[in-house]
Amino acid sequence: MIETSDLAKHFGNVEAVRHVTFAARDGSITGLLGPNGAGKTTTLRMISTLVTPSHGTAKVDGIDVESHPLEARARTGMLSDARGLYVRLTARENIAYYGALRGMAPAAVSRAIEKLAEWLDLGELLDRRTDGFSQGERMKVAIARTIVHDPPNVVLDEPTNGLDVMTTRKLREVVRRLRDEGKCVLFSSHVMQEVTALCDEIVIVAKGSVVAHGTAESLLAASGRTNLEDAFVHLSGEGAGA
Amino acid sequence: MRTPILTVYLKELVDSMRDRRTTLMIFVTSILMGPLTLVLMAQFITGLEEKSAIRKVRIAGQQFAPALVNFMQRNDFEIETAPADYEARIREGKLDAVIVVAEDFDQRFLAGDNAKVEIVYDDSRAESGPAIRQAERVLRAFNRETGTLRLVARGVSPDLAEPVKVDHVNTATPRQKGAVLLFLIPMFAILSPLLGGMTIAIDSTAGERERGSLEPLLTNPVRIAHLVVGKWLAAWTTATAVAVLTLGGFVVAAALYAQKRLAAMITFGLPELVQFVALVVPLAAMTAALQMLICVYGRSYREAQTYVNYLGTAVSLVPLVVFFSGLKDSLWQLTVPVLGQQMAFSRIVRGDVLAAVDFVLPSAIAFAVAALCIATVSRLLREERIVFGRS
Repeated sequence: MIETSDLAKHFGNVEAVRHVTFAARDGSITGLLGPNGAGKTTTLRMISTLVTPSHGTAKVDGIDVESHPLEARARTGMLSDARGLYVRLTARENIAYYGALRGMAPAAVSRAIEKLAEWLDLGELLDRRTDGFSQGERMKVAIARTIVHDPPNVVLDEPTNGLDVMTTRKLREVVRRLRDEGKCVLFSSHVMQEVTALCDEIVIVAKGSVVAHGTAESLLAASGRTNLEDAFVHLSGEGAGA
Repeated sequence: MRTPILTVYLKELVDSMRDRRTTLMIFVTSILMGPLTLVLMAQFITGLEEKSAIRKVRIAGQQFAPALVNFMQRNDFEIETAPADYEARIREGKLDAVIVVAEDFDQRFLAGDNAKVEIVYDDSRAESGPAIRQAERVLRAFNRETGTLRLVARGVSPDLAEPVKVDHVNTATPRQKGAVLLFLIPMFAILSPLLGGMTIAIDSTAGERERGSLEPLLTNPVRIAHLVVGKWLAAWTTATAVAVLTLGGFVVAAALYAQKRLAAMITFGLPELVQFVALVVPLAAMTAALQMLICVYGRSYREAQTYVNYLGTAVSLVPLVVFFSGLKDSLWQLTVPVLGQQMAFSRIVRGDVLAAVDFVLPSAIAFAVAALCIATVSRLLREERIVFGRS
């Protein structure tokens, strides 16, 4: 369960996030949809404690991220915009490093890696150095690393950016599996089709504020439009030019 | 379960060891550098001594000065006629010094006038020094003998012409003479931790930023200070390892020279090594932390490498300044990072006995600087401009 309440962040005079209030439930995929520069990444960074909010609060399973960052991080898996791997380490070592940092015993790490290797088709990639991995392969390792400790909350920042169709499908499959295991999945994207194909609930963010929140059907109804693309353009207030 | 600090520490060590080429280069350099320098320096010094032991002079125009030639022969000097193009050869560095006799030497000499000779040399080359001094000595001795004979012939005491009699008494023990040569060991003791800590210091800070692995790393439920301490311990370990290897190389080289004439000059054995290591370990703690601090500002590996090189240059100036300024030992120097170590190192190679304060004070300050750097790095890694500012 991830909740934000009137979250805001400004960098100098730039207001990256103004008013972001929403809740992402357990056992549900929540999509943060908005155009580039709407404040999605900054919002996710505040939830994952990388950025300190200027105003408002974010809670992970009821834990305030600002006052108890370590506890909040332990209950979250964050796939950030930056997904760098250690190229001289194998895929397995990359994943195991994060497992160890999250306090997992070596045996538990091995079990988790076996499970995720199956989910993500890592197979023979596991014991190769990540130097020279394709973007899709690097992404799979980054995802495995993010969720190796089986966190109840998973935050994915634009996870499908730059991925081919096959990897994108694999990723969606993993996201659904996580939801089916009862986890709270928060997913950001600027691609409307991506969000509607995957998410149970959609939060539309524009210019640093939440402008609409609900299921695809309820958003359609609220906007009075007949297709989602029109609804998105209308709700995000981008007008004719968007 | 491993603590996060240990996890980070082991990961950084494994990661850096996997870079075989860099690791090998650093370790081979550190093992060979010391002995190689020492052997070359030692041979250079031995060469100088051998040159000054040979009693040989080169003369142009010896036929004009039979009296001088006679003097040299009586004093067992080997006389060699200089080639006609001696000036060019001296300029090229093929000849050290030549005594040139003027054509009217004998006439003026017999008449009791000032007879003229020139010593031609190029003193910009250190190795020609002994030959120049030898030529000067021969001529001075000839002057004195001739002068004395002339005074005696006129019934004057030769002591009148020499109101002050100068004798040289050099108080430097052979070992202290060696310390001039051995200023090199303190210099390597200070520079080797910089070389050894560099890779991990750069890779674990600017490297993490460049490859975009810093941001995900910081989402782990680990205190930033623990991450930084783990990285620093890894850099400290390699810095110490390289320093100990380098100094160990000197011990081996000094032992190899034990049979030769230089043995008395170079005393760098196990007791000296132990004292050096006692000072180097805290020094490495400081240099590794300093390197990390400046590397955090680097957005890329290359940028950080430049910063590290600046630090290396700044630090390497300390031994040079001490060497050329002839700074004398005093207590305040112990409180200046690097300078304190440099002074203590120099005293160890000179064979002085160090007091506890000579070890404790510089080391305590080194650890304090290291702690300050670690705290600053931990604070910087909380700053958005560092975490998200990528090249």
